[in-house]
Amino acid sequence: MRFAVLQLTGCAGCEVSLLNAGDELNLANLAYMPLLVSAHDVPEDVDVLLVTGGIRTDEDLLKLRDSAGKVKKIIAVGTCAISGGVAGLGDRHDIREHFLAQANKGRVPRMLPKCSPIDTEVEVDNYLPGCPPVPELYIKLLNDPQSLKTTSIVCKECGRKKPKEIRPDTLTAGIHKDIDPELCLVKQGQLCVGTSTRNGCGAICPRAGFPCVGCRGPSNNLIEKDADAWFESLISIFRRMTDIDPVLISEALKSPHFALFLFQFSDYADTELEKRPKEKVL
Amino acid sequence: MTTTIQFPVSRIEGHAKVIVDISNGQVRSARFLAQEYRGFEQFLQGMPADQMPVIVPRICGVCSTSHHIAAVEALEDAYGVTPPDIAKKIRHLMMVGQLVQNQATSLFFFTMPDKLQATSIFGADENLGKETLGSISKKAMAIRKIGTELISLAGGQFIHPVKAVVGGVVSGIDRDAAAVMQEKIKKALPLACNLFDEYWKLTEKLAETVGHWEGDDPFYYMVAVDKHDPTLPVDYITMQRSDNSETVTFSAADYAEHLQFHRVQDSFSSKTSFNDLPIRANSLARMNLIENPGTPIATGYLERFRIEFGTPAHQILLFDLCRGIELINGLERANSLLSENLQEGEMNVPVTPRDGIGYGLVEAPRGPLIHNFHIKDGLIEKAGFVIPTVHNNFAIEQALTTMAKRYVSEDRIDLGLDKAMGWVVRAFDPCIACATH
Ligand code: SF4
Ligand code: SF4
Repeated sequence: MRFAVLQLTGCAGCEVSLLNAGDELNLANLAYMPLLVSAHDVPEDVDVLLVTGGIRTDEDLLKLRDSAGKVKKIIAVGTCAISGGVAGLGDRHDIREHFLAQANKGRVPRMLPKCSPIDTEVEVDNYLPGCPPVPELYIKLLNDPQSLKTTSIVCKECGRKKPKEIRPDTLTAGIHKDIDPELCLVKQGQLCVGTSTRNGCGAICPRAGFPCVGCRGPSNNLIEKDADAWFESLISIFRRMTDIDPVLISEALKSPHFALFLFQFSDYADTELEKRPKEKVL
Repeated sequence: MTTTIQFPVSRIEGHAKVIVDISNGQVRSARFLAQEYRGFEQFLQGMPADQMPVIVPRICGVCSTSHHIAAVEALEDAYGVTPPDIAKKIRHLMMVGQLVQNQATSLFFFTMPDKLQATSIFGADENLGKETLGSISKKAMAIRKIGTELISLAGGQFIHPVKAVVGGVVSGIDRDAAAVMQEKIKKALPLACNLFDEYWKLTEKLAETVGHWEGDDPFYYMVAVDKHDPTLPVDYITMQRSDNSETVTFSAADYAEHLQFHRVQDSFSSKTSFNDLPIRANSLARMNLIENPGTPIATGYLERFRIEFGTPAHQILLFDLCRGIELINGLERANSLLSENLQEGEMNVPVTPRDGIGYGLVEAPRGPLIHNFHIKDGLIEKAGFVIPTVHNNFAIEQALTTMAKRYVSEDRIDLGLDKAMGWVVRAFDPCIACATH
């Protein structure tokens, strides 16, 4: 199987993660990936095209359309390609015009009015969310895609304990501290969203003591619902697990500047988040 | 007659191209243009300051650790917080992990194919036997992995670390895990030396064909590291003129007084100068300006380097060799850091956020990186990122022009120009996502 990686506007983290998986992959089959291979275009004989980054410029758009026609299967990899991610933050209402005016000044690729996920332009066969997806996910994706089918929530891989009798009543604002490495961070009053985020990452952040920020996106139960359903579910989980004022939780979660938006709702500026069928999300 | 030739550049981080302007058989200029942009300095406005350490690593997936730590330190500067020693050591280890990861990637994945006349290191190329490349890429992969494992161990997440927080780090490093890591490093070190020796030989060969080229025009070297430990950032920047005639130091907060920023119409990246001269940051700058790397094997390599090429050494291709010395230095340094207590003690101090201005300075693999935040009502009012690749831009173009002249004559343009432009750019290991952010 020949595969290629098309890099649109992103941070290259998704590509670096793929490289981390390198010793388990047959990279001699890598036909195109500007970060690692000198080839000017996606060649004709490619089976799987991984696309990273969002469609931010006219060049991104041209490259995507051109490459899509040459390949058998397209996989959107990483939050930027799936929902705009960090590349899409320039779309925030209050700064968008300023951003576009600033960016479209010289003889450079033109910024499109909006940064778009790649499935607004081409048919996507699968989505591999994460910022970036961990190497293990790439290995499964490229070597044994069937093994990716079932996912659950990050808590399943985190394993921190959630004793019933511990019920914090204050939200620890901004400052992160891991007081007890065995104890669930929500039980420590932190805004961990691992309870409704899809797993597969190995819970690396919460296990290291930092709350999950949701980079793998909503779990299967929530993925076909809208953003509000995700928020509601999180709020009710906090109500069940803590005595923190639900209004505070709601405010903290919905603050349009919470990092969660970076990962999932960066296109909140104008449109609803596209709903992706859960069978397609890996 | 005027001709403009364009070359997209691959095997670097991000989207960029080189443009060579030729008129009447003479190279007028060669320029390096960044072609992507996301607007961090704009969209960060209005975001809560405490979210910066999670958001700004996404400036770049290659050097995210530098951004993670520079952001934390900028906030600490604004809040007037000093992290405990143990947290500083863990952050240092994170940075060393990144150095290993970056130098191994640049050396073996970006530039080694040039030296082997291959398009990539994975053996998809016909010129070289698949086996030769296959065995090189296997070793390269193993060495590089040590870097990412160090970032994971010290930073939590493997690409966009999370463990540095304002006031310290969230958690320490388990002694057993540290010991396992040390074993891995001990195994990787001879492998790394071996592959680097190979690389050194190939560089000499390439130098035989293309010659040693450096350009005679003066410029400044720029670093922000300890003279006896180039993996350890210091809180001031040193500028040293290439002929050693002048040395200037300044703090991160004074950068705007010392550096001039130039905007251009056809690139999303600006360029920095110092006293109106180009700047060279990155590996060669560090290896020229330090006294010694402070670890035994790397010291041996640097001594050999200085005997062979002199001090300071100015040839562009030597950036790569210096990266190799730093790779070895990083592995040795990580090993010794892991012997220290990183598990018990105070990991972070209490923090009272306040409004104000903060600066964070770290030495990223590509040179000194500054983050600057103006905080009002807990929100970012203004964010500024002073990026190493931007400092190198004039030097890159200067070197590109020097090199292009060798390939262009009155009657013809040598077909090797395309490749040669790639060599020059890769020597500087630019990072476009960072440069434009
Ligand atoms: S999804 Fe995250 S890691 Fe991947 S390109 Fe976007 S910001 Fe980088
Ligand atoms: S810390 Fe987060 S991911 Fe871990 S169990 Fe608690 S809610 Fe779930």
